[in-house]
Amino acid sequence: MGLPSGTFNQGYAQDMAIFRTRTQWVMLFAFLILLFACPLFFGDRILTVLTIIGISIISVHGLNILTGYCNQISMGHAGFMAVGAYTSALLTAKLDFSFWAALPCAALAAGIVGIIFGLPSLRVKGFYLIMATVAAHFIIIWVILQLYGVTGGADGMAVPRPEIGGFVFKSKASYFYLVMAIACLGTFFAKNIVRTRAGRAFIAIRDNELAAEVMGVNLWTYKLQAFFIGCVYAGVAGSLLVHYVAFATTDQFPFMNSVWYLGMLIVGGMGSTMGVIFGAVSLKLLDELVTVVGPILAAAVSPQAASSLGLIMRGLVILLFLIFEPRGLAHRWQMVKSYYRLWPFSH
Amino acid sequence: MTKIKWLFISSIIVLLLAMPLLAACPAEETTTPATTAPPPKTTAPPPVQKTLSIGGCFALTGAYAEDMAAVLAGFEDYAAYVNETHKLAPWRTETFPEDITVEVLWRDDELNVEKVLSIYEELKDKGLLVERTSGSPQALALMNLLDEDRIGATSSAVGPYLLSPPKTIFIQYPVYTDATAAIADWFLDNWEETRAPRVAYLTADNAMGKSVVIPEMDTYLESIGFEVVGTQYVPLVPTSPPTTQLLWLKENKVDLALGVMINPGAQPTVKEMVRLDMGPNLGYKITFGTASPGHLWILAKAMGELGNGYVCAGSYNPPEDLTVPGVKFCSDLQDSYRSDRVTHIMYQHGVVEAMIQVEALRLAMLKVPIDELAPVDVLEYGFYMIKNLETGGITSTPLSFGPGDVIGMDEVLVQQVQGGEAVALGTWPLHNIYKQE
Repeated sequence: MGLPSGTFNQGYAQDMAIFRTRTQWVMLFAFLILLFACPLFFGDRILTVLTIIGISIISVHGLNILTGYCNQISMGHAGFMAVGAYTSALLTAKLDFSFWAALPCAALAAGIVGIIFGLPSLRVKGFYLIMATVAAHFIIIWVILQLYGVTGGADGMAVPRPEIGGFVFKSKASYFYLVMAIACLGTFFAKNIVRTRAGRAFIAIRDNELAAEVMGVNLWTYKLQAFFIGCVYAGVAGSLLVHYVAFATTDQFPFMNSVWYLGMLIVGGMGSTMGVIFGAVSLKLLDELVTVVGPILAAAVSPQAASSLGLIMRGLVILLFLIFEPRGLAHRWQMVKSYYRLWPFSH
Repeated sequence: MTKIKWLFISSIIVLLLAMPLLAACPAEETTTPATTAPPPKTTAPPPVQKTLSIGGCFALTGAYAEDMAAVLAGFEDYAAYVNETHKLAPWRTETFPEDITVEVLWRDDELNVEKVLSIYEELKDKGLLVERTSGSPQALALMNLLDEDRIGATSSAVGPYLLSPPKTIFIQYPVYTDATAAIADWFLDNWEETRAPRVAYLTADNAMGKSVVIPEMDTYLESIGFEVVGTQYVPLVPTSPPTTQLLWLKENKVDLALGVMINPGAQPTVKEMVRLDMGPNLGYKITFGTASPGHLWILAKAMGELGNGYVCAGSYNPPEDLTVPGVKFCSDLQDSYRSDRVTHIMYQHGVVEAMIQVEALRLAMLKVPIDELAPVDVLEYGFYMIKNLETGGITSTPLSFGPGDVIGMDEVLVQQVQGGEAVALGTWPLHNIYKQE
C-alpha cells in the first residue's frame, strides 16, 4: 500500500491496516458523515439515485470478486440477482419470513445457484465461460417464469417492505440508510476477502491458472468459492432491489444489466474495490445526465434522434476507457494519490 | 507543510459540506422577492400564467422506441392545441382555463426498471401531478409506488397485473387477456366445423406476451368450446424467422394462434407463416391474432396482401380514415403543430392519453384550486371522475374510470387485414377474464 512521503510501516498490524494514517481515518469518517447526512439535504429523487447506486455497488462487488480478482467472466450476474430477489420475495411474501431472515437466505440461494452454474468453469474458460454464464441467466429467468403458481410468472409478485420492530423501511431516506449500511459492509468485506488466503488464491488464478495450480492452489475449490461469494453479493443486491420496488418481476433483471455491470467494472477498474465504487457511481450518474439532457437535445433535434442516447453514451464511455485507460478510474485515482503522497517532491 | 495539507483537506470538507446546503436552498428564494416591489399604479396586473404538466416516462430507447416517439408527438400536439384554443377537442363544449399553460414533461426510461425509479422521483419533484408508463416492466415497477403516493397514471402497457388489485394506472384499451379473448369470440362466431377448434398461444417472450398465458385464459377458452393445445414463444423482436414455433402449430393442428406482439414481432411471424403456406386462405388453415400492440394498420401498410387474415383487437383506426372524428382531429393537430408528419398509429394513442391526463387535471381543478392541487386530488377528483370521455372514436368506446375501474371501456374493436387493407370486424364485449384479487 502506498503511504504518504515519510510514513513507514513498523509492524505487521500497520502493514495490514486498510486505513493507515490519521488523515485516511479523518477522510473516511468525513465521507461516512457526508454519506449518511445525505437524506438531510437531498430530496427523494437524489436519494433514489443514490439507493440504486448503492444496490449496484453491492452487485458489482460480487462481480469484481468473480471477474476482477478471479478472472471468471460472468455475464449472468443479473440472473443471479434474480435468484436472490425471488428467494427473498417468496420467503417474505408467501412464507411470512422477516426481511432480515430472508436476506441471508437470498444470499445463500444465489450463492448455491452460483456454484451450480460455476461448475462449467472447471472445464471451460474465457469466451466459453461467458457463454455458459449467459445460458445461466436465461435458464434462471425461464425457471422463474415457468413457476407461475409460485412466482407469479410474467405478472410478478408483490413484495413487502423491510420492517424492524414495527418500523417499516418505506420512506426513501430509511431505505437509503439500509442500502448504504449494507453497501458499506459489503465494501468492507470485499476489501478484506481479497486479502485472505482465498483472495490471494483468486488473484493467483487470475494471473496464471497453471502457475497457481503448480503452487498448490486448488482450482476446483477456489473457482467455486469465487462463484459463491460473487453470487452472494448478487443475491443481496437482488433482494434489496425487489424490496425497494415492493414488487418482483423478471423484467427487473434484464440481460443487459449484466453487460452494464461488467461495463462498470471496466470504467471503474477491475480488481479494485474502489474501482467498483467509481464504476457504479460514474455510469449511474452518466445515466442520470443523459436522462436530463435527452429532452433538451430533443428540443433541438427530435425525440427519436435524442433517443438511445443513454446506450450510445455508455457504450462510448466503455470504449474510451478500454482504449485509453483499461485499468479504469481506480488507476487514475491511484495516480492522483501517488502524486499527492510525494508532494512537494516532483518524483 | 502539514499545515498546508490540513488547510487543503479542511477546505475540501467545508466545500463538500456547503454543496448540499446550497443545493437544498430552493431556487425561487433567490429570484424574486415577494414584498419589495410596489404594485404598478396604472392598470391591473395581467393574469399570471400558470403551468400544469402532463407526460411521464417514454421508452424512447429499445423495442418500443418508434411507438413511444409517436405517443410523445401526440402528447406535444395535444398540449399545443389546448394551449392555443383552450378547447379539449372539437366535439367537446368544456374548455380549459385560459390562464393555465399545459406543458409536456418527459424522460426516456430506456425500458429500464432502475432508471424509471429515479425518473419517477425527478418528475414528482418537478411537480408532475400525473404520470405515465411505457411498457410492462416500468408499469410493474411503478404501480405500487404510484398507489402508495396516490398518483394517477396512464399507460401504453395494459397487462393484467394492473388489475390485481386495481391500482392507479388507467388504460384506454383492454388488458391483453380480454383483447385476445375478443379475437377468440370472433373466431368462434365464424367457426363452421363440428369439431372443437384448437387454439394455441403464439406470443412474445416478455412480460407483455406472457401475460396472456395464464390459467384463467385457458379456462375461458375451454369454456367457450376451444381445445387449448399449448404455447410457443417468439422473441419480442425476432432475429430469425420463428419457423420452429410455426411448424409446431402446424404439427399440433392448431386452428387459431393467439398472442401479444408488437409489429417488429408480428410482421416476421406473419411473413414466415405465408412462406410455410399457413394462413386462413392458404394451404394450412390457421388464423393468427394479437392484442393491440401488434397494430393492424401498421402491419397492413407494411405487408399489404401478404398480411391477409391477420387479426388484431384493440388497435386504432387507420390514420387515413378521416370519417372518424378522432382520426380527423389527429390529422388536424399534425397539420397545425407539426412540420414533419408522424405516420405511426400510436400518435392517436398519445393524443388520447394526453386527453385523459388533461381531463383529469381539469376535473380536479373544479374541486381544488390549482395552487393547492396535489396528485391525490387529481386521482380522486380527476381520474376517478372521468365518465364517458368521448375520444371521437379513437378508442372502441368512450372512456369511464373510477375506483377499482381502471379499464376505460367495456367493448373492444376487432380488425382484420383483408385485401391488404384494415377492415373492422366489429366490437366484442370484454369478459374481465383476469381474476382481480
